[in-house]
Amino acid sequence: MAGKSGTAPTTYSPSPSTQNKKRRPIFNDADWVRSDGRGFPQCRPAFLRTGAVNSASGSAYAEFGNTKVIVSVFGPRESKKAMMYSDVGRLNCNVSYTTFATPVRGQGSDNKEFSSILHKALEGAIILDSFPKTTVDVFALVLESGGSDLPVVISCASLALADAGIMMYDLVASVSVSCLGKNLVIDPISEEESYQDGSLMITCMPSRNEVTQLTVTGEWSTPKIHEAMELCLDACSKLGNIMRSCLKETASASQE
Amino acid sequence: MSSTNTSSDLSSEMEVDAFRRLFPLRFHERHLLESIRPDARPLGKARDTSLALGAVASAHGSALAKIGCTTMLAAIKMEVMTPTTESPDEGCIVIDFHMPPICSPIVRPGRPAEAAPVVSKQLSDTILSSGMIDLKELSLVSGKAAWMAYLDIYCLDADGALFDAALLSAVAAFSHLEIPVVSLNEDGRVVVVSEEDAGKLEKEAVNKEKRKLKLSTVSFSLTCILHKNYILADPTAEEESIMETLMTVVLDSSFQLVSLYKPGGPVLACTSAIQDCVALTRQRVKELQKILNEAISDMEVD
Repeated sequence: MAGKSGTAPTTYSPSPSTQNKKRRPIFNDADWVRSDGRGFPQCRPAFLRTGAVNSASGSAYAEFGNTKVIVSVFGPRESKKAMMYSDVGRLNCNVSYTTFATPVRGQGSDNKEFSSILHKALEGAIILDSFPKTTVDVFALVLESGGSDLPVVISCASLALADAGIMMYDLVASVSVSCLGKNLVIDPISEEESYQDGSLMITCMPSRNEVTQLTVTGEWSTPKIHEAMELCLDACSKLGNIMRSCLKETASASQE
Repeated sequence: MSSTNTSSDLSSEMEVDAFRRLFPLRFHERHLLESIRPDARPLGKARDTSLALGAVASAHGSALAKIGCTTMLAAIKMEVMTPTTESPDEGCIVIDFHMPPICSPIVRPGRPAEAAPVVSKQLSDTILSSGMIDLKELSLVSGKAAWMAYLDIYCLDADGALFDAALLSAVAAFSHLEIPVVSLNEDGRVVVVSEEDAGKLEKEAVNKEKRKLKLSTVSFSLTCILHKNYILADPTAEEESIMETLMTVVLDSSFQLVSLYKPGGPVLACTSAIQDCVALTRQRVKELQKILNEAISDMEVD
C-alpha cells in the first residue's frame, strides 16, 4: 500500500441515506419486470473483440451489460522447472478482479474458486496433445463485475484461446440462469444473483452438443432444471454463433 | 570485435526477423544510424496517445489511457475515514499501481512484477508532492470525517513507458472525478444523498459545493532512453529491454520541473543530455495537455 500514513485508517463507503430497508422485489408477481427491462429468456447485449492485449499470444475483451472482462493467453511456453515431464500440454488458469470491479471496494477477491472452475470448463475443449511438455496460461481480469461474471470469463477465455491459435475441439460458450421464485431469468445481473433461490450454469461446445461443465446450486425441482437447461443450451448455441462471427470478422480484417 | 563482424556479414543474407532476434542491439543501432526506429518513428517522437474518461461505471472517477500499445486503466473510489489528530482538516489519497498477469508475458500470478512497486512509489511521490491536489479539499467535517481517495491503476497491456501512461491515466481520472453528495445521519455516519431526496432531507448536505476536485497544476511526464549519444523518446518494451538507461522527466503545466528519475544504467547522463530530455518533455507536455483538454470537452458534450 502506498499510503501517506503508516497506520491505514479504517474506511467505509457511504451507503445511500434512504435506509428504509430496500424492499425485496416480489419476483413472484406476474407483472414483475427486470430492472434493465429485459424479458426473462433474453440475454444482455454482448460485445466481443479479439486482440485486446498486444503483448499476449492471444486475447479477447468481452462486455455483457456492465460485466467487462479481459482474457490474455500466453504460450504454449516452457513449463515451470519444478513440473514433472508430461507428454500432454498443461493448462494454467487464473481469474482476478480489479479493486474497483465491485460496488464496495475489494470484494472481488472473494471469488477464489473461479480459477479452478475456469480450468475445468476449458480443459475438455482443448487438444492438449497438440503442445506436449509445455504450458498454456489463461489469465482473466474482471474490470467490472455486473453479474454472471464466471460465464462471461469462460466464453471470453475460449475466444482468447482461439485468437492465440490453440487447437480446440470447439469454442466454449457459457450461460447461467437464476431461479427467482417461479421465474427463470437468463444471464442475471448482480442484483438478481443476490436474490436468487438457485442458479444453474452450463458450459458447452455448441456445435458438438457436448457439455463440459454443469453447475447447479440452490433449490430446484426436476421440471425446472429441464426447463433451465433447455434455455441455457439454446442461449449457448446463439452465443457460440456470435463468438464465431467475431473470430471471422477479425480474420477477414487481417486478410485485407 | 569478431562477433560484431560476423553479425554484420550475416545480416546481408539473414531474414530481418531472425536478425532482430539474434542481434537485437545491432538491429536497433542500424536504425539509429538512419535516425529512425523500427516502428518508423523519428527518435524524439512519442507514440499515438488516446484518452477516454469515465471508462469504469462503478467508480467515482476513471480514465483509460493508451500510449501506443501500452494501456492503463485508472479508477478512483471515494471512501470515508476519520482523519488523524495531526491533520484533522485533511483527507488522504492512496495510490496503487497493479500489473495483473494479463498485461505481459513476464508477470505470473502470485509473483508480482518487479516494476510495479517502483512505478507505484514514483506515482505517489509525484502526485502527492507536486501539490496537484490540496488534501484540505477532501475534508468533510473537521476532525470527524474526510474522504479517502483510493486510486488504483491497472496496466492492461505493458509495452514500455509504463510510468508515463500511468501518470496520464491518473491525472485524467482525477479530472473526471465527481465526488458524491453526502450528509451526516443521526449516528454520525456519512451517507450518500441521492438526487430525488435531496430536497426533503432535514439534514443539510455537507459538501454541496465541492463536487469537483480542483487541480492546481497538472503533471505530465516523458520517459527517454539514453543510448550512446542518442535520445529515444517514449520507448517500447522491446527498446527498454535492449537499451537499459532510462530517464523520466516530470513537468507541470507551467513547465516547472516536478521530478526527474534516472535510475542507474550503463550510460551516464551529461548535462546536455538532461537538457535535451527536458526540452523533449516540454514538447510532450503541450501534446498531452491538448489530449487531456479534448477528452474533458468530449465528456462535457455527452
